[in-house]
Amino acid sequence: MTSLIHEIRNHLAVAIANVEAFSDGVLEPSPARLRAVLQALGEVEALLRDLPAEATGAAAAGTPEGSAAPDRTR
Amino acid sequence: MTPTTPRTILVVDDEPALVDVLEHYLLEEGFVVLRAGDGPTAVELFTEQRPDLVLLDLTLPGFTGTEVLRRIREIRDVPVIMLTARVSEVDRVVGLELGADDYVGKPFSPREVVARVKTVLRRAERPAAPSGEGQDRRVGAIVIDNRAHEVRVGGKPVSLTPTQFKILDVLAANVGQTLTRNQIIERVSSDGDVFDRTLDRHIANLRLRIEPDPARPAYIVTVFGVGYKMVEPT
Repeated sequence: MTSLIHEIRNHLAVAIANVEAFSDGVLEPSPARLRAVLQALGEVEALLRDLPAEATGAAAAGTPEGSAAPDRTR
Repeated sequence: MTPTTPRTILVVDDEPALVDVLEHYLLEEGFVVLRAGDGPTAVELFTEQRPDLVLLDLTLPGFTGTEVLRRIREIRDVPVIMLTARVSEVDRVVGLELGADDYVGKPFSPREVVARVKTVLRRAERPAAPSGEGQDRRVGAIVIDNRAHEVRVGGKPVSLTPTQFKILDVLAANVGQTLTRNQIIERVSSDGDVFDRTLDRHIANLRLRIEPDPARPAYIVTVFGVGYKMVEPT
């Protein structure tokens, strides 16, 4: 869990630093650099998908709906 | 190392897209930049190129940032700023126990990192005596040109009395450090001038000339009961 957060912070660091550099005019937002930002954000998204369900709150919201469906088929 | 030599910064991080950004910000500020993506390369570059400051990621391939820090401390005492995504207390303690001068949590603002680099470098420059070195001092938009005996704020020359100039120079040589009235007076009046409480009046006049809003000082801050401190405006 902590290493997951650590990884997420690392990828966000790449995205945020690059976008700030674009907006400061320090770096040109070249296609390669934009791809690097997109890739970093993609990694964040993938890591968030790996988060344990209870940490995201998805389990609590999903269970009642899941258990409601079989009831209706009866 | 003469004062006019550009400072060299070693940036150590295994993420090239992040090092690119820091490199460009540092180049814009006139620094020379060395890059390393792993521990062994970092130690090798440190030994061969003798940088003036190291920006060091904590998690690296090869060996860790703390190991790099331990090794370079054995070689030479230069300022080190740790970069870390692991912001737990343990890491902070380890970093500071090993003698890191500062740390920046990831993600960070590259602008902020550059500001920290400048502050740590300035703090490391000792002895912090006023003027005479033929070196420009910069604090925010203020540039103190010791050769021309001239001060510019945002590029515009500002007219100061010799005493105001000396006071500003002493404060700017110790950015972030509180100096007592006595320390300031002692350093400014080396040529025999004697003044005491008039220091406060000199500071007030100095603020009128260099502060964007003299009523709310952004550069020369009063430390109540102690003295004054120069800071980088936020």
